Formats: sequence, structure tokens, C-alpha cells
Amino acid sequence: MNRFARIRPSYNVISFVIRKLVQGIFMFAAVSAISFALLANAGGDAFTALRDNPQVSDATIERLRETYGLDKPVTTRYFKWLTSFVTGDMGESIHFKVPVGGLVLSKLFYTALLGSAALLIAWTIALILAFLNALYKNRTLSRFIELLILMTASMPRIALSLFALAFFVWSSQSAFAVQSGSGISFAISAFVLAVPLIALFLAQSNSELTAAMNEDFVKLARSKGLSESTVIVRHASRAALNPLLTIFGLSLGGIIGGTVIVETILGWQGLGAMTVTAIRVRDVPLVMGIVVVTTVAVWLGNALAEILQMLNDPRLRDEIAS
Amino acid sequence: MELEARRRRRLSTALKVGIAIVVVGIVIFGDAIAPYGYEKQVRNEPNAPASSIHFRDAEGNIHLRPFVYRRQLVDRLGYGYEEMSDRAYPLSMLVRGDEYSLIGLFSSDIHIFGTEDPEVRITLLGTDQLGRDRFSRLVIALRFSLIVCLVGTLLASLIGIIVGMISGFSGRLVDSALMGITDSVMALPTLILILAARAAFPLELPPFRAATLLIMIFALAGWAEMARLARGLVRATREQDYVAAAKGVGTSEPMILFRHIFPNIAPALITQATIMLPYFLLSEVALSFLGVGLQEPVPSLGNMLAAASDLGQLQQHPFLLLSPAVVIFIFVLFVRLISANFQRSGRGSQLV
Repeated sequence: MNRFARIRPSYNVISFVIRKLVQGIFMFAAVSAISFALLANAGGDAFTALRDNPQVSDATIERLRETYGLDKPVTTRYFKWLTSFVTGDMGESIHFKVPVGGLVLSKLFYTALLGSAALLIAWTIALILAFLNALYKNRTLSRFIELLILMTASMPRIALSLFALAFFVWSSQSAFAVQSGSGISFAISAFVLAVPLIALFLAQSNSELTAAMNEDFVKLARSKGLSESTVIVRHASRAALNPLLTIFGLSLGGIIGGTVIVETILGWQGLGAMTVTAIRVRDVPLVMGIVVVTTVAVWLGNALAEILQMLNDPRLRDEIAS
Repeated sequence: MELEARRRRRLSTALKVGIAIVVVGIVIFGDAIAPYGYEKQVRNEPNAPASSIHFRDAEGNIHLRPFVYRRQLVDRLGYGYEEMSDRAYPLSMLVRGDEYSLIGLFSSDIHIFGTEDPEVRITLLGTDQLGRDRFSRLVIALRFSLIVCLVGTLLASLIGIIVGMISGFSGRLVDSALMGITDSVMALPTLILILAARAAFPLELPPFRAATLLIMIFALAGWAEMARLARGLVRATREQDYVAAAKGVGTSEPMILFRHIFPNIAPALITQATIMLPYFLLSEVALSFLGVGLQEPVPSLGNMLAAASDLGQLQQHPFLLLSPAVVIFIFVLFVRLISANFQRSGRGSQLV
């Protein structure tokens, strides 16, 4: 029987989707308004630095500010930004001189590539180790997992990426050179990004799977004469999946934050590296675009994780809206 | 089993006390631990390697008291140094050196270790390109980071606990509104927002204002998880018999909250605080590294790591340049050990 046949868009699912949408709209409104207000009152805009340039007259600066609409009050500017955002226009980057929307989305693609690779690495390592631990219940293995969790949780991305950079530099004088943007560089960046996630996922999947192994339905599956690995894969892991999806949803914001450091140090040209540039040159439209797009992306990922949870666990579909 | 548990407990107490002593020692006596002032530039000693500490002199005699040799820059382009073994400069305890003020109250010039001759320095981690002693800068940087992350954690915990308790004690409407906000904050890409918020202020700020700003931003971005935990704990504890008993004898709600519920959930909240601590430290490091945190010449773990962008130096002395990263790793490791220990000893969050 098809497992998905049981799923129907019940009343609860619809109310959940509506609630998620309302939450998303509120988040978007709050984050965009607060960042806009903060950035508008910032100690200067993109043209403040021009004042030090003797070749640029004050009139030119005023004209530039007028062109970009910086002479209007904040609320007017915010609503102007909001209305054009709804039509898909996020303005033009002052530094890069291209539309913000396209720029942010194209960079987001590269960051998503890096993030997915990191997630893949972290999940693979975490699930394999948790599976082996549930299967063999080996004391040495569980000690090793504990140690690995501790080490990966304590290894900050910034330290790890700098050590990777030191390795790049060292390798550039030895036989094989690592070039930024190359396959090896991408693999190392993804690995660096993955390390703190390994701790998170491994700790969670290990404890969930261990707990699920004592559940009644697992005992039942075992008593049916299924092999231990089938019991784990087919029954226990499905029960352990939901907390993992929660963790996945919650880790998305952290991954995006992590890419800022990893990309800046290891030279992957994604959204993280561009954020730093945008902030250094005080490119307000670009910063706004990045903030809004990442917020929406993370919210979407979160909503997706929760929907997957409902698909996976029939009990949740009735519970979640209560 | 019993014996092992007791040994483990004793070990963990020793660990906590040890770390507390180190942290307090660095916060209060940082300037004295650092052998030189963090701003002191020595232009004829740029990018020097770590001083080698000798016990055996050029004639082969062994000294009980360690000493260093004078160094001279022989290769100005490649920063090559040569040791002059004509005269030994012994190390001493409690030497007089650069002036500093102890916790801002009284000034002193006594450093815990150093050489008697200010011209010949002991640089445990070498010097940076302005000839400043990297070890001294590292100690001061660590002090700054510790203060920022401790105060930030405290403030964020306070906000989180207050929001969580209000949410846990209120009716459905307030509760779902507050938890809706909390969930939204938890789902935000925090570092991006911290960066954006930081961009709203002038990039170059004096250290005290930069620290205050960082603490405020961290507290506003990091309270949500604490609020979730506190709310869950309050909800669970409210159902306990002793709370019902207190209510039965007519104790007021705030009294119940502070006398009966809070003491019972405090350990779990402390565990959560130790989990938050490294995040604040790392955020500070990240911001300073990206040039929007604490600015030169005041050292911070982040802006010291930014020196690693000098690839030539990184190739020559990777471990000296990355010593702040090693310190960060060790600090985070110890904090994690403590919070893992809190959790294992059963004082962690059992209720949720």
C-alpha cells in the first residue's frame, strides 16, 4: 500500500499552513521594517565617504542622494521600498550597480550549493554512525561518538577555516596547489561548514535512535522476526526522523551565518562573502535585499521541515493544530 | 560504579573551579599576565618568531634559570632574525615594565614574568607586523572577549527567562503571541542580522562603546532559546504537587514563581546559559574578524585572527598567527565539557 495514500489535506494541515503564512508575513514585515529603520538612521550612507573627496562638490553628493531617493523621510522610503519589493524590484545596488534581486538570488544559489553539500556531509556522517551504534551497541563506538560530538561541537568554523587556509597556503608551495573556486576548495569549504553540524545532528540522531530502539513498536517489529538492521531502518529511524527535521529547520539560520565566515576566508563567492562587502561599503539596498532574502529562505526551509514532519508522522497531523 | 561517579564529580568540580580561576584571573589581572603593553610597538622587531627559551648557554653550561638571547633583524624583507648569543638575559618573576591600571582603579607596572632589560623582550608567540608582543595582545583580547560574552549571555538569559516565565504563566493568547515571536526569532539567520544591525552604527567605535553595542545586539538576537526553555520548564513545574500545595495554602502567584518554581528550574537554565556562552564568544570573534567589531589598536581574538590574511606570514608561522584560534578552540571545548557535565549529572533539563 502506498504510504502517502493516507495523507489528505485535512483541516489541521490547512490551518497549519495558514498559521505558517501569517508567521512568515509578520516576520518579513518586522525584519524588513526594523532593518530599514536601523540602516536609514545609520551614521552615514554610501555617499558619506565622498565628502572627503575634494573633487566631488556638495551639490553632486546632494544630486546623487536625490537620485537614489535618500533625501526623503524614512517612512516614505520604506513604503516605496515595500511597494517595489512586492513587484519583485529590490532596487539597485549602489556598489555593484546592478539590480539587487538578481544579484542576491544568483549569490544565494552558490551559497545554497555550499550549504547543501555541508548538510549532505553532516547527515551522512551522523546517520551512518548513529545507525552503526544502534546496530552493534559497541562501547568503544559510543565512546568515539561522544568524543566526536564534543570535538566537532567545539571546533568553531572560523578556526577551522583559518586552518584550512593555512593548509591552502602550505599546499601552494608543495606539489599540489589548491585554488580557490576549484573542486578541492569547494569540498574543503563544505566540510568546514559541516563540522559543527555533525555535532548537532550526530548527538540528536544518536539519542533519538537509541530511545526509539526501546519503543514498543520496535519490539513488535523485532518479534515479527525482522533482521535488526531492517528494524532500525524501517521502524526505529522513522520515529527518530522528526526531531532530526526540527533540528534541520533550526540549523538553517546557523548555516547561512556560517557561510559568512567560511566564504570570506576560503574565497567561495556566495551570499556570505557578499554580505561582508555590502556592509563594508554601506550599500543599504543590497544589505536590505540580503536580510530579506535570507530571512525568507530560512523561513521557507523551516516551513518545509515542519511539513515533512507532518508527512512523516501521522500523529502530528492531528496534534499540531491543537 | 559509585566510586567512578564520585571521582567524575570531583574531577568536574576541579574543572569548573579551575576554569573559573583562569577566567577571573584573566579578567582582573590580564594586564599583569601580559608581559608588555598591548599597544607598545617595537619597530625594529616586526613579525618576529617566538623567543626561544634556553637553559643551556653557548659554552654548554646548564642554568637552572631560563634565559633568552637578544635578537637582530637580519633579513628585512623576509623577516629573518638571528640570535646573538653573546649575553644571556635571564627571565624573572614580577618585573617592572609598561604601566597599566588594574581594573581601572590603581596603576601598576609590575608584570608577572618578563626580562629585566626592556630592550630584550620575551615574545612567547612572536610579534605582529608592528612589533607588538602577540602573547600580551592575546591575553588582553581574551579578556575583552570573555567580558563581552559573559555579560551578553547574562543579559540574553535575563530577557529570555523573563519572556519565558511570562509566557509560561499567562493565558493562551499572550502565550501563543510570545512564543510566536520567540519561534520567529529562533528561525532568523542571526549572524546576517547581527551584521546588518552592526552596519547601522559607525564602523569605528571606541572599545567601550563597541563592547556595549555588541552586548546589546547579542542579547537582542540570542534570548529566544532561553525563553523557549524557561517557558517549557515553567509549564511543566506548574503541574507539580508542591506548586499545587503552595497554591492551596494561598501563596500569591509571584511568590510561587520565585520561591517554588524558579529554584527548581534554575539549574536547567544555567545549563542553557553555558550552551549559549560559546555562541556569543564566536559572534564577537566573527564580527571583529570581519572588521566591524572591536577595532585596532585594541586587540580582540577576531581582529588578531585577521592578521592571518597576510598569507606570507601565515605560511611562515601558521601556529603563531592562528594562536587566537587555538585559544578559542580550547575555551569552547572547556565550556562544552562543563555543560555536558551539567547535563549528565542530571541537573540539566529533565523536564522538557
